[in-house]
This record gives sequence, C-alpha cells and structure tokens, in this order.
Amino acid sequence: MFSHKNIDLLVLLMTLSSGPLQAQQDFTQLTAAEIVDQVDRMLRGDSSRGAIQMTVQTRRWKRDMTLEIWSEGTEKALVRVLKPKKEEGVASLKVNSDMWNYLPKINRTIRVPASMMMASWMGSHFTNDDLVKDTRLIRDYDIEISYQGEREGLPVWEFTLTPFPDAPVVWGEIRYQVRKQDLMPTWAAYYGEDGELKRTMTFTRYRQMGGRLVPTRSRMVPEDEPEEFTEMIYLDLEFDVPIPKGTFSLASLRR
Amino acid sequence: MIVLRLGWRNLWRNPRRSLITISAVACGFAFLITLIGLMVGLAHQMLSNGTELLLGDAQLHHRDYLPKRSLYDTLSPETPGGLEDWMDQLKALLELDHLSPRVYAFGLLSTGELSAGAQLMGVDPELEAGLTSFLEGVAEELTGSAEDQPLLLGDVLAQELEATVGSEIAVVTQSVDGSLGNDLFHVSGIFHTGLRHLDRSLAVFPLRDLQQLLVLDPDQIHEIAMSIEDPMAADGFADSLNKSAILPPDGVVQSWGDLAPQLRDYIGLARGMYGFLIVIIALFVAVGVLNTMMMAVFERTREIGLVNALGMRPWPIVNSILLESFFLGVLGLGAGMGLGAWAMAYLTTRGLNLTRWTGELSMLGTRMDPVLKAVWDWDYVLWSAVGLLVSTLLAAFFPALRAARLDPVEALAAPVEG
Repeated sequence: MFSHKNIDLLVLLMTLSSGPLQAQQDFTQLTAAEIVDQVDRMLRGDSSRGAIQMTVQTRRWKRDMTLEIWSEGTEKALVRVLKPKKEEGVASLKVNSDMWNYLPKINRTIRVPASMMMASWMGSHFTNDDLVKDTRLIRDYDIEISYQGEREGLPVWEFTLTPFPDAPVVWGEIRYQVRKQDLMPTWAAYYGEDGELKRTMTFTRYRQMGGRLVPTRSRMVPEDEPEEFTEMIYLDLEFDVPIPKGTFSLASLRR
Repeated sequence: MIVLRLGWRNLWRNPRRSLITISAVACGFAFLITLIGLMVGLAHQMLSNGTELLLGDAQLHHRDYLPKRSLYDTLSPETPGGLEDWMDQLKALLELDHLSPRVYAFGLLSTGELSAGAQLMGVDPELEAGLTSFLEGVAEELTGSAEDQPLLLGDVLAQELEATVGSEIAVVTQSVDGSLGNDLFHVSGIFHTGLRHLDRSLAVFPLRDLQQLLVLDPDQIHEIAMSIEDPMAADGFADSLNKSAILPPDGVVQSWGDLAPQLRDYIGLARGMYGFLIVIIALFVAVGVLNTMMMAVFERTREIGLVNALGMRPWPIVNSILLESFFLGVLGLGAGMGLGAWAMAYLTTRGLNLTRWTGELSMLGTRMDPVLKAVWDWDYVLWSAVGLLVSTLLAAFFPALRAARLDPVEALAAPVEG
C-alpha cells in the first residue's frame, strides 16, 4: 500500500512537509525535478499519524480494513490494524529496510525475509517492498516534463520519470500528473522494465487534513487485473505530531 | 536348395575369416543390446524418479490451476459423499492403484528472527506415501506424531530456519477469504529428496490443517496425483479420463509428459539416439561384411567363371553370396544375443555403480540413483537385429552383383586360388 518509490502510499500516508506550502510560489520557474521534489517534500513530514480505511477488491473477495499509521521521516513506519475484528492488532513495523509483522493470534513477531518482499502486504495489491523501499523520486529518477498544458480544463504537468542506471527501483518508467494550481498529484502510472504498464494510481478527494491539502483518496489498479483495486481513504491525518518514544520498536509492535 | 547349401559351404571355406566377421557382428549386436539396455534403464530411472518422487503419472487439476497455481482454482467434486467418496469411485472405475489429493499455497515460515518463504503442501500422509517417495521415512510423522499441528520440512529449509524436530514454526499465508492465515506448527520430521528446489522450499502439512489455514472446505483441493501401471501409457490414460463423466466439469487431467515436458523430451531424444546408434553400428558391421565378401568373391573368381561358363544363371550366383552373408549375419546375431544376454544378466541385476564419479546427482529435475541398471527393451533388440541383418545383406549385394557380372573368359583366366 505505501509504495514509496513514487508517490504512493508511504509518501501519501506519512507525508508532511517541512513547512507550509507557499501556494503562491511561481512553480513555472522550477525545473521538472524541482517540482516533483516539491510535491515529494510537501507530502512528506518529519512525522505523521493517521487513520485510513483500506478497501481491497479482488475478483474473489472484498475487504475493508481500518489502519492506524505512524511514521517518522521515510525511515520508520508502524501500521496497525484496528478493524476488522479478526485481524485487530495485526501490525507491521518498518525500520529502514527491515520489516516485521506482528500476529496477535499466535502472539509472534515475524521478520519479513527478502524473498517475501514482492509478496502482498496484508492481502492488498501493494507489496511488502512497496512499504519498505526508501527511495526518493529525485534521487532515483531522471525527471522530464513530457506534457504541460490543460487536461480536462485544469493546467497540469505530466512528468516522465526514468530510473538512473543503478537505481534500486523496480520500475522501468513512471508517468505522473500534477496539477499546477496546488501541486496536487492526480495520477501516476507505473511501467515495468519491459515498458508495459503495471499499475495505475489515481488520487482524488483533495481535503485539508492536518493543516495541509492532501489527496485523501488514492486507488491503485493493477493492470493485469483491471477489475481489482486497493483503495485508501484518510479518515484523519496529523503532521509533525510528537511521536511517543519507542513507537518504532518491536515492543510497541506487540502492543 | 542347392544355393542354400552352396552358401553354407562357402561360409566355411575360410573359417577363420568367417569367424572373425561373425564375431564382429556378434560384438556389434551385443554392444547395441547392452548400450541401449543401459540407456533405456537411464530413461526408465529418470521417468520413475520423476514420477514416483512427487509428480505421479498423471495429475488432475481445475482447468485454470496451471500454470499460475492460483489458490482459488480448486477442484471440488460434486459427488454427494464428498471428496473421499469421489476418490473411491475414481479408484474403482479406473482400477487405479494410488491417488493422492493435495492442497498448495505459498507462505512465510518463521521461527522469530529467521524467516523463509516456502511452498506449503497439504497431503493425506497415507495416500501420499502410497503414491510418491519424497516423504519416505517421515510421512508417518504427520499422523503418528505426538506434536500438535505437525509439519514436515525439507532439510535445506529446516537448516535455513535453524529448525529441528520439535521446533515451533509460525506459518503465515494469504487465505482464500483475503485474511491473513496464521498459525503455529511444530516440526515433526525433516525430509531429504536430493532435489534442491524441493529440499529448500517445501513444507508439508496434514491436508486438513492446511485447508483450515487457507479457509478451504474439506472437499476443496488443488490437485489429485495418480499412478498407473505403465507410465508410458499415461498420455492415453489422461485422454480417456478427460472424456469420462467422472471428472468434475472444470477438471482436467494431464500426464507426466504434459506436466514435465523436459522428461518427455528426454525420452524422445533417447529414442532418437537408439536409432542413431543402431545405424552407426550397422555401418561398421557393413564395412566388415563388405570386406569379407569382396575377398570371398575375389578368391572364387575362377570357380564363379567356371559355373558361369557351364551355364549357371546369374541369380543363383547372387543368391548364394547373399545367403553366405545372411548366414554370417544370423550366426553373428545368435552369438551376439548370447553375449548380450550374459552382459545384461549382470547389468539388469547388479547395474553400473556410478557413485565414484557422481555422488548424488540430479538430472532434468529428477533425482538419479547412482546405480544405473539396464532394462531389456525387446523392441530395440529386434530393431538392432533387423538393422544389422539388413546391413550385412546390403553389404554383400555389391560383391554378389560383381560376381554375377563376371565375364567367364576373363574369370577363367584368373589365377587359381590355393
């Protein structure tokens, strides 16, 4: 769910910027990389706490989960399941590139091995890797503006992101649309190494939350199963909140 | 009749030369018998290792199950009595010896800090042990074990998790309802198949335990593996089963050849090799026979000229030479059969022990027994015999024609042979 090599979850969820966005700034003077970085930083925080509702729709089943999320920078995150009852207390802790899951039913904490990084996270269409990867767009991708102008009546930029040769990312290319008026992302499309579209994220419901404008609903659709999706809706979100000591520890994972 | 006697008598006019040629045919035949016997043995061994280890001779799946192996593509027989009843019917109808229902999933095994992804496989230990050998020696640990929630691990996987018998393993997987299936199991046995990909990735559970973890009904399974009398008949067996009404409508049966095409390819390739070997050996034998018969005709130039001059037709001359060659071939084949049978008697029982060269080895994804035993395949024995006999006759044809075409005057002028 929080794919981070791009602007997906982690960025969205744990987002927060270092200062209030200067909405009046003249973005047109910025380079492509600077704009994307601006969006990146705007949606990234020193810390954040939020609750989201995650809906996973597959061909076979549909599930609603409520998750509580804590984050600090891009290095640390804790996600805990609040609902449904069956999985209440299931939690994931990410510290740097390590990840642990806590399973209350058997009262065990399990470290997620490298071989499971591409497996689904909590049954969603996101992988563990999406949650763990700690990449920044401007660090890993060469960014170009591929389109600038109006789309559906709104001025937007469209960026094409191509990974640097040795960047540790799984995508061959990302296309990404951002609204000019408020730097809100509208969609991102992820392509594999073979140039084939793999997944599409769309961002909607821009709301003030935690003192800043954020897309409160994001939906990921995997290209090979167009009927399926994972959708995340912020129920609440706070930025730069004081995080209790020891939040990102194995002990707190079990709580 | 006179031609027959002529051929036979001519054969023994130079017994040493004839015996050498006969022994060449004999050695060629014996060589073919044993070499093809060993190769057939190797192919049989690969096939039976391939099928008996884990595959079975044929497998039944939901038609969408392969190749993606989606958790959701389960078979559930519509028989009122459920899976067990349906399997009994299948067994009775097809006179099957053994079949084994299986459930698969992918999951995470963990002892805490140490975790590993694994292929989870649920089996009925008794049925599985009747069909395959990969759980040899530990299958009963799944039923008779004192451990609650037993689990068998491949030895490499166990090592990776630093797990031993009795270790507690947390198993996490995605269930069919989308929830996170997780439970604690205890290692009750560790198996070694010799195939690294199995030893490293396979975790085996009692069928029902894994079904519960995956939130599957007791009747829902992913696979039924079957074994039949003659593995080489598996394609026909699969075809006829696919047409029968006993299959669930969405079920499809595939033979080992469909499931492991590399095995089928190898066996096809081996057959091509047998033919090639027969041709090569037949060529060698033909050269030997050609030489012998040329010599024989040279030696008898005068005599052939004489019978020719006396009015013998060319065909009896040709025939007598062909018959001489035929006798060479038949005697050679007889001797070769004896020699080959003697060698095969050893190779089929004791076999060739390859341990000193190979140690434990696997080939095309099947474990090989380091003792290679030959197997009689009468089709190829017959083809070898026919091939060698045809080559001796063809080789004699040229000298025979030459003899028939001799000009009596010139032939009579040839030097007398001692």
